[in-house]
Amino acid sequence: MHKKDLGLAILIIAVGTVVYLRNPLFLSPINLGNTANLIGLFGLFAIGQGFVIMTGGIDLSVGSVIALLGVVFVDMVGKFGVPWPLAVLIIILLGAIIGLGHGLLITRFKMQPFVVTLCGLLIYRGIARGYTAESTAGFPFGASFPDLEWLTIGRSFGVPHSFVAMIVVAIVMWMVLHQSVFGRHLYAVGKNEEAARFSGIRTDAVTISAYVICSVLAAIAAIYFAMFTKSVQPSSHGNFYELYAIAAAVLGGFSLRGGEGSIIGVVLGAVLLQELQNLVNLLGIPSSLNFAVMGTVILLGVMADQQFSAFRARKSAAQAMNLLQKDEARM
Amino acid sequence: MSVLELKNISKNYGAIQALNGVSLTVEPGEVVGLMGDNGAGKSTLVKVIAGNFAPSSGEVLISGQTVNFHKPLDAQRAGIEVVYQDLAICNNLSAASNVFLGREPTRQFGPFQIVDYKHMQNRAVELFARLKSETRPRDLVKRMSGGQRQAVAIARALLTDARIVLMDEPTAAISVRQVAEVLNLIRQLSEQGIAVVLISHRMPDVFEVADKVIVLRRGQLVASKNASDSSPEEVTGLITGAIEAA
Repeated sequence: MHKKDLGLAILIIAVGTVVYLRNPLFLSPINLGNTANLIGLFGLFAIGQGFVIMTGGIDLSVGSVIALLGVVFVDMVGKFGVPWPLAVLIIILLGAIIGLGHGLLITRFKMQPFVVTLCGLLIYRGIARGYTAESTAGFPFGASFPDLEWLTIGRSFGVPHSFVAMIVVAIVMWMVLHQSVFGRHLYAVGKNEEAARFSGIRTDAVTISAYVICSVLAAIAAIYFAMFTKSVQPSSHGNFYELYAIAAAVLGGFSLRGGEGSIIGVVLGAVLLQELQNLVNLLGIPSSLNFAVMGTVILLGVMADQQFSAFRARKSAAQAMNLLQKDEARM
Repeated sequence: MSVLELKNISKNYGAIQALNGVSLTVEPGEVVGLMGDNGAGKSTLVKVIAGNFAPSSGEVLISGQTVNFHKPLDAQRAGIEVVYQDLAICNNLSAASNVFLGREPTRQFGPFQIVDYKHMQNRAVELFARLKSETRPRDLVKRMSGGQRQAVAIARALLTDARIVLMDEPTAAISVRQVAEVLNLIRQLSEQGIAVVLISHRMPDVFEVADKVIVLRRGQLVASKNASDSSPEEVTGLITGAIEAA
């Protein structure tokens, strides 16, 4: 575990303690279960966003992807009677295609990730609204899919399955980022693409893969959100979610310049964000102030982190100078 | 036998003649200083050797065998490594990760292939020991001195058992103390039988380590002689054209 991750974990515990002392309901099983569910839902696509940010890019289309694929999923299963395992596969495939499109535009056509995914944000949202003619997509009355529901909104021993799914995804992605060759290459491409290319890494393939991972995880999250809300309102479903993902990654120690971050970090970032939402509810702060609280905490957190790193850098530089001077004195 | 031989290499870009009938040989373990003014054809020559592009005419021989490089990887397979000035290093990775960048060793872990960090560390320790460098494999490159960074870049060359290492301005933009470190690294390579082609503007550095100096001027080879038979003054004259050829 990194020092940064540890700091974040301590912050989460500290905030939790304060909230608990003000309102003991914080640790009630119902509250913990609900919060865990939200952490799972938001964590799923925040991890994907982490991969894109690792390359020095950004994916602003996540929220719209969740809305569009949510609408498609609900319609496929609810309206057209597509067997849900097939529908899940199709949704994941659509996610992969969207990611591939982003990746190709960014690498082959040398477009900026911000522009590509901003257009994605508009296009997917527009398609979702156009396809449904602004009406809410929902399951027909009385329809029930026990297996699908167990997988998505079910609970085992009080633990929501969305949270379990997020943990499973996090473990797999931890392997990918921290243990696989692809992960090494991702760090290299994010920090110094030129060096990576000189080292024989196929940098375009690495970047494209990151966008595919991001959109596939957004697609999986879309299914979980659709099942959670049971109906998808195309103009508001998933609004701002990309910003939650970016915030979780940044809180988790990712650098928007690329090449820095960890899976544990982004998961903890997602945890802290939901904890803050919960704090607003439990402490009776008007929920209209929700975003203000979140923004303030992120700002302070990132500022404190940078001050600490600058301090550490100064300290180690001073140490090195000391050693050097001793060295010179001996010579 | 020469590890590298160039026969009558020419390269032209349209009407511009970047290299004109350059012939030279490099022996195993030899340190060759390649000098010339900007635009003299040094980088073109290096790129031809490194497989970045093919010469318009002429022959490249590696250990007596004619080779045709179509891409840098071909040259790498033939034992040619290029140490780029700072370019090929990722600051956010450890020294060991950088040495193995692009060719990470893996091991089986259940159904997965995962990076074998332990093997990386051990091999890196070995390589740095061979270079007599104090670089520690676990340290992040961003916390390293210029000399240590060069050691990392050079260790990459050792990893593939390179026979020829091309170094592009390895001593530019680093402190005097670190220059000494880099020159030591070059000597270590040479002692292990690896030929080093050193491209540099810094006359004193070249004369400190080079066995042979080669001077290019306007795409032509104007001198190729033992460093001990030459002098910085002569080479300066050759570079600028004050001395026609030697």
